[in-house]
Amino acid sequence: MTLTMMYASDATIEVIKKVDSLPSIAVEDSSSAYDEIFKMKFFKSLVSDLTVISLFNVDRHYRTVSYDASEVVVQNKDMNYVLRYKLIKDDSGSLNISLKILADNSDVFSKNYKIKNPKMYMFVSHTIAYDVNKFMGKPSVEWMKRKVIFSRVVSPRHSELVIADYTLLYQHVVVKGGFNLFPKWANKKQTSFYYTSLDSARPTLKYVDIQTGKTNIIKSSDGMMICSDVNVAGTKILLTMAPNGQPDVYIYDVKTKNTKKITKYGGIDVGAQFMNDNTIAFVSDRLGHPNIFSKNLESGSVEQMVYYGKSNSACSSHGQYIVYKSRESSNAFNGNTFNLHLISTETDFIRRLTAVGVNEFPRFSDDGDAIIFIKNYKQQSSIGIIRLNHNKNYLFPLKYGKVQSMDW
Amino acid sequence: MKNILISSVVTALLVLTGCSDKDPVVDESANITTKPTAETASSNTSVDTVVVDSVQEEMVENTDSVVSSNSGDISSLEKDFTSVYFDFDKFTLDGSNADKVSTGAKIANSAASAFTVKLEGNCDEWGSDEYNFALGLKRANAVKKALVAEGVDANRITMVSYGESNPTCSDKTQDCWAQNRRVDFKLLP
Repeated sequence: MTLTMMYASDATIEVIKKVDSLPSIAVEDSSSAYDEIFKMKFFKSLVSDLTVISLFNVDRHYRTVSYDASEVVVQNKDMNYVLRYKLIKDDSGSLNISLKILADNSDVFSKNYKIKNPKMYMFVSHTIAYDVNKFMGKPSVEWMKRKVIFSRVVSPRHSELVIADYTLLYQHVVVKGGFNLFPKWANKKQTSFYYTSLDSARPTLKYVDIQTGKTNIIKSSDGMMICSDVNVAGTKILLTMAPNGQPDVYIYDVKTKNTKKITKYGGIDVGAQFMNDNTIAFVSDRLGHPNIFSKNLESGSVEQMVYYGKSNSACSSHGQYIVYKSRESSNAFNGNTFNLHLISTETDFIRRLTAVGVNEFPRFSDDGDAIIFIKNYKQQSSIGIIRLNHNKNYLFPLKYGKVQSMDW
Repeated sequence: MKNILISSVVTALLVLTGCSDKDPVVDESANITTKPTAETASSNTSVDTVVVDSVQEEMVENTDSVVSSNSGDISSLEKDFTSVYFDFDKFTLDGSNADKVSTGAKIANSAASAFTVKLEGNCDEWGSDEYNFALGLKRANAVKKALVAEGVDANRITMVSYGESNPTCSDKTQDCWAQNRRVDFKLLP
């Protein structure tokens, strides 16, 4: 057992943000262009994003005012901040937005935005929230601007791959028809992705370049063929393959196309994630039940990471932290609960992140600020976002189908 | 300063659930990589205009040719096989299931001897991660081992796992979950 230091050297901070200690913000719409439906959609998206950045008590009333009015709307006079914006349609059909933030009736921030396709308004809303977060001097929420790719099962052995924003307001089906699972971004720019096709005789890993629309076959394997993770540079990928029914972790070099087997245990080794270029975290049942281990790729040494729970079957890592999925009931006859837990690899810190339902597929954002996950609860499938520093979870329900796996 | 209580979330898109206890300080060394194209909005202001990159995708149609198992001989022979069922979280074959595999082995070595046997492992609905897929595969592998023990050539057998994505029913009942924990036999030309 490790000695527990008296000081919180792993720097866990107890953040209790009471409702009444957050500054207030209201939103005023000065738009004259666009119809009421579009204006309301944009307003709701903006209010939602301002709520998710978790820095304000966001007033939800829809107020209109002239953009150049020297004072805020009378109902907003006691707000700490007022965000005022104007949607403008230009001759090319692009959506332009002028925006400013007022505090004590003076401008403290202003910026203009433009997007060619007004249907993608939600991406502007996310960018605005990102900028507001930056203006408030808070750690980056870059993840808000990123795209999510997920597989949605629509009927048995029929799924589609969808690219979306983090709220699922925008959705674009990029691969339809067939049975395609486990999509994974191939690079940081999110211009290409890998996915598993189960339509041909053997499970096949494919690579799609979004910009050209070209699809390449990477590899096939009997049994299983999944891209579990991609390294930061996009040069190596961790695969799960199962020739002869033996699931193991492999590493694939994108340039040389060489594959090397990483795990040797005769049971199940799957779900590997890069902790850094030389170390992986993965799921193995080598101790009798699925649990989380790490492996040093140079020395080959394996270490157990989690000492709690009897069935820990998925993980994601960032810095010293690992988030994993733990089964908390063992019921063949009723609903089961799977919850996400967060541990530090350097101290005894552990924290449960979710409460009910089947919570799985955790993925850290690149900046470690947020975790995205899938939640299935009471026949509703949703994507969830956990703001680790703010003690808040947000859920974005899917209108149809069931999310099978995803990446961002 | 007026205190404003957060009202319950009203938008159709947003549900707030609480969480508890301590927060970690996570690594915050993010590099901000946005590269907006800045243009001056008008001559009266010096405010940069941020052009938000459009998300440009093309629809990538799935043009795989599915290996058809619907020729007359194959589909009628497939019906002679009986799916094998498993207990919750298990991949071992019990008595009655072992008999089904024996029958399957006989068909594989006689009427279906020209074909490859494809074993499809499946799970109930509790989880879609890789571990669950591996569990489905272990079920298929248990059936494969039993077929080989009954004299079927291992090289004629191929396996795949569909996890929980190929259910035969979707009711939230014990009976339905039991029906989904199974291995199906298919034939390939």
